[in-house]
Amino acid sequence: MVLLSAPRWLRSRLTDRFWRVQEVLKYARHFRGRKNRCYKLAVISVRRAFVRSTKARREKKRFLRALWITRIEAASLEHGLKYPAFISNLVKSQVELNRKVIADLAIYEPKTFKSLAALAQRRRQEGFLAALGDGKEPEGIFSRMVRHY
Amino acid sequence: RYVRQLQRLQLLFSPTSPDSRGARQFVEEAAMDFARQHPDVVLYVSPRSGRAPVLMAEYLNGTVREELINSKTSEEIVQLATKLARQSGLDIIRIRKPFHTDNPSIQGQWHPLTNKPSALTVQGPRLQPK
Repeated sequence: MVLLSAPRWLRSRLTDRFWRVQEVLKYARHFRGRKNRCYKLAVISVRRAFVRSTKARREKKRFLRALWITRIEAASLEHGLKYPAFISNLVKSQVELNRKVIADLAIYEPKTFKSLAALAQRRRQEGFLAALGDGKEPEGIFSRMVRHY
Repeated sequence: RYVRQLQRLQLLFSPTSPDSRGARQFVEEAAMDFARQHPDVVLYVSPRSGRAPVLMAEYLNGTVREELINSKTSEEIVQLATKLARQSGLDIIRIRKPFHTDNPSIQGQWHPLTNKPSALTVQGPRLQPK
């Protein structure tokens, strides 16, 4: 039997294996050990890193809030107030500042923070007077709240 | 007034290869309409044989963005071109903070001596006036 036409050998080869591997390795470049060079180890490590980074977004909020609270506590102790007293008296004086802003004020605007601490202290004293002392209102009172409707 | 951040749009395609069919259709049909709708966008069309079709966008801050338009229809190229025309040349990465200041502190940044009594006010055994 004579084969009249030569068969056309169609071979398909994988030609961009390098770039497929680099897509994963580029996220592993700052890892320690062989995970930053070897693809088999890097695939596992990169997947775990991504999973951890998505889960950590919820922890980040808790972590940052705890950091702000620590900073506010340190700053208010400099002015002679403890953190629970500071925050509760600010809330009672209708100062609706969140902890992020108060922490930034304590770092970058120390005089403003001092005035906030003085406000909280004054409100605290008025609270004590209202609870313990006689029913007379002191001058320049901070405890009577204004309601806007 | 609004200044378009796109400096020029270069459409490089090959007149014969099958991948640039969408690019050729875009040039024949939709390029004039696109140019009329965006009068301040500069569109350069250069057919080069033996080249993968690419839409290159250069911006005023120097960034060059190349988008492959291999086997894309004419409508998709129009959408791509409008998207590139509306962008600015800043890199597309995660912005860490949506705000930035050069002067974060007006009253003076806190340092450990801000709330301590200064040497003028401290009454110690050594600093009493003679």
